[in-house]
Amino acid sequence: MISTRDIRQRIALGLTALAAILLSTLVSASLMASEPSDDDPFAAGGLMLRGKGVTEAMPAMRLGTDISAKISGQTARVTVTQAFRNTSDRWMEATYLYPLPEDGAVDSLNMIVGQRIFIGKIRTREDAQAAYDKALAEGRKAGLVEQVRANMFRNTIANVGPGETVLVQVTFQAPVRQLRGSYALRLPLVVGQRYIPPHTIKGQADVADAANASAPLAHPDLGDKLNPVTISVELAPGFDPANIASPYHKIQVQKMGDGRRMITLAKGETPANRDFELRWSAPGTAPAVALFKQRHDGLDYVMAAITPPSSGPTGDVPPREMIFVIDNSGSMSGESMRAAKASLLYALGTLRPQDSFNIIRFDDTMTMLFEDAVPASADQVALGKRFTQGLDADGGTEMLPALQAALSDRREGTPGAIRQVVFLTDGDLSNEREMMAEISQHLGRSRVFMVGIGSAPNSYLMSRMAEAGRGTFTHIGTAEEVDTTMRDLLDRLSLPVASGLKVVVDGANVEFTPAVLPDLYAGEPLVLLARGKDLSGKLTVSGKLAGQDWSRTVDLATAQPSDAVAKLWANRRIADIEAQRWSGQMDGDMADTAIEDLGLKFHLVTSRTSLIAEDATPSRPAGAKLTREELPLLLPAGWDFDQLFGDQGYHSARDAAAGQQELEEQLDLPETATGFMASVWQGLALLALGLGAWVALRRRGLA
Amino acid sequence: MSRAATLGTAPTSGGRATRRALSRAIVGVLLCTGLALLAQGLWIPAKAQLAQVLLERAFAQSLASGQPVKPWPWADTAPVARISAPRLGVSDIVLSGSSGEAMAFGPTEVVAHGPVKVLAAHRDTHFAFIRDLRTGDEIVLQAIDGTLARYRVVAFQTVRWDRFAYPAAPRRELLALATCYPFGATEHGPLRRVAWAEKIG
Repeated sequence: MISTRDIRQRIALGLTALAAILLSTLVSASLMASEPSDDDPFAAGGLMLRGKGVTEAMPAMRLGTDISAKISGQTARVTVTQAFRNTSDRWMEATYLYPLPEDGAVDSLNMIVGQRIFIGKIRTREDAQAAYDKALAEGRKAGLVEQVRANMFRNTIANVGPGETVLVQVTFQAPVRQLRGSYALRLPLVVGQRYIPPHTIKGQADVADAANASAPLAHPDLGDKLNPVTISVELAPGFDPANIASPYHKIQVQKMGDGRRMITLAKGETPANRDFELRWSAPGTAPAVALFKQRHDGLDYVMAAITPPSSGPTGDVPPREMIFVIDNSGSMSGESMRAAKASLLYALGTLRPQDSFNIIRFDDTMTMLFEDAVPASADQVALGKRFTQGLDADGGTEMLPALQAALSDRREGTPGAIRQVVFLTDGDLSNEREMMAEISQHLGRSRVFMVGIGSAPNSYLMSRMAEAGRGTFTHIGTAEEVDTTMRDLLDRLSLPVASGLKVVVDGANVEFTPAVLPDLYAGEPLVLLARGKDLSGKLTVSGKLAGQDWSRTVDLATAQPSDAVAKLWANRRIADIEAQRWSGQMDGDMADTAIEDLGLKFHLVTSRTSLIAEDATPSRPAGAKLTREELPLLLPAGWDFDQLFGDQGYHSARDAAAGQQELEEQLDLPETATGFMASVWQGLALLALGLGAWVALRRRGLA
Repeated sequence: MSRAATLGTAPTSGGRATRRALSRAIVGVLLCTGLALLAQGLWIPAKAQLAQVLLERAFAQSLASGQPVKPWPWADTAPVARISAPRLGVSDIVLSGSSGEAMAFGPTEVVAHGPVKVLAAHRDTHFAFIRDLRTGDEIVLQAIDGTLARYRVVAFQTVRWDRFAYPAAPRRELLALATCYPFGATEHGPLRRVAWAEKIG
């Protein structure tokens, strides 16, 4: 017989033992949980915008910009005049970060003070900086134009007196874009805030570069009257232009006779908060060939735009693997995110059951919808659409992991299968070199198509990624453009590609750029820049289109003269050098030297050369203090200020703007808790339990 | 489960003996484990205090010789400064390097050079005083060359360990004291408490 007492004892003993085991496992489990949990409030992070922050007060230096462009044939010569007006009673130094087209070649600088004009000279970056610093210290006026990125420049101007206005005039050449018989010139007006990935900051040089590539942001309360821009374009394309339009600004078009037009902004001026684009087309069918020529320094330079014959759909499009990569970082918040989601939804709607697809989204984290591309069955596509609709824009822009994931190809070497990666992003990040290196080294059979979303995307990054990825680059400025632009892009992706291009010029030794000829998607021209001694005779482009050979021959003697060609050649050559640097074909120092040579020889602002204009006589009286001011930029149209800065980010940004903290260095803080109290409590608890059990057992005579 | 099965055997006299032995064993294990944990726990603050005694001596020798002197022959760290917070009566010897090893003995220098110094120590040993620190408190750092640097606490910050940044070129030299947060917690977490002090004089 088991007595009730026995049972009670057994239960008490069993429970004590169980409790002890449970307790000690619980305590040690909680001690092991040292990994940061995902739901803590600081994990969401934010853009690393601490650098320059938000400007809330009107700056002392006011800026007005006038852009005047002259388009002749397929090149544009554009003069950007920035008027720096000192509204304070102090002597000022001002610096302003602004964008230019990524394929623009900046070749001249004029600094205008009252009646006097100082002409800028090209120097190596360090020499120009030293000359500027010297002028600054000696109280002389000086203007410095530096390249921060291929599409991002910085003007710095020293010793502007109280109430004085100084004009800085920068002039550049840019090619006109051509696509399916229509032409476009895009003039970016504002630099979008770039995300600076913390891991790219390794030393003082990186901190300086990050500081150079960012600017403070004007608080929305300051209004959009801050940096007004006026634009005028003289359009002389060589034919009577039709369908002149500007998708983001209202324009006025005036006929000037012999096919020329004068285009101005309908409202007179516009805030510098979104890219300006002008489009036009040729009446009837566009010419398939355009040819321009310049003689410079004893050499001939030629620019040719050659469009392959068009080929309609050739039966069924083979099954495709489509990888969509969508950016949902903080800079996309607002209109851009809506446009990106609408674009992706549209693209998902065009998938056929025989296609396969995957979706990757990224901010400072990344998610792949499927582990690997899946067949585009109705269920999977519906899942993809739900995933897309649920995306919110927040966090930093860590694009590299997403790019790596998108390029990792599990079916490499499958014959005939097409793999297309479509990126939807604003590209607002500063580690462009990492992207380029990844894409040029791991492309494989994939083709990369960049869709630039928003009012001020980083066109430089995207056009270069598309070029290295042997795909195309398309802009989507507003949500209204999504349907037409995406339809057009997806159509072109399903049409045959002109590939295996070759170019020969008979009887001449010619240097071509781009060095690696691209694949051409429907309607795209091959834009070639070449130089050689006495270029004459015939130039032949040949390749394969839909399995058939084609070729086109032009007579170089028919080329029209243009004084832009040599500079455009040099600028395009620099882009080639950068591409070789990224793919590891050229080492960094060699690339720098080559770029410096080209910059000095062609009088171009490059990563290694700057323009400097300086007054020989001092104007700031000795002893008068100089105040430095960095002019704030407007938030690109459609960006969400609150989302970008949030409460916390905004306040720390404001502290930074107050001059407390200009540059910051990131540091991981070590683990700083021994947790000995946990051991002590755990030990005491076990002791108490043990003693309790011992007393209980003893009382029952068991011990 | 097997234990429950043993406990459920019939109460023969042999069974009773087994049960007694088992009960004793459990009580013994509980008491021993408890004591071991308690000792292990208490050893940490004891070691932290003991080490400071040795470090104090090494620091005095370093001051005298102007050269860093190792506190014990096999140490991979050496005293570099003495940090004190006069209002709180705190005085500790700061060690070079930020290895977890060194941090068991004293505060360590995470960033040693440049206009911003960052020190780190455990929240439950040497930097427990951060909890009681107030804005306006003075912190004195004495280097081994004898020079004194005085700082005044200007701000506190709670930040994730991987989101911390310090100004590269502050207007005044800064001292950051970093420790884990929250103070009473027994678990390791991602948050850190940083006291910022500005150099005065």
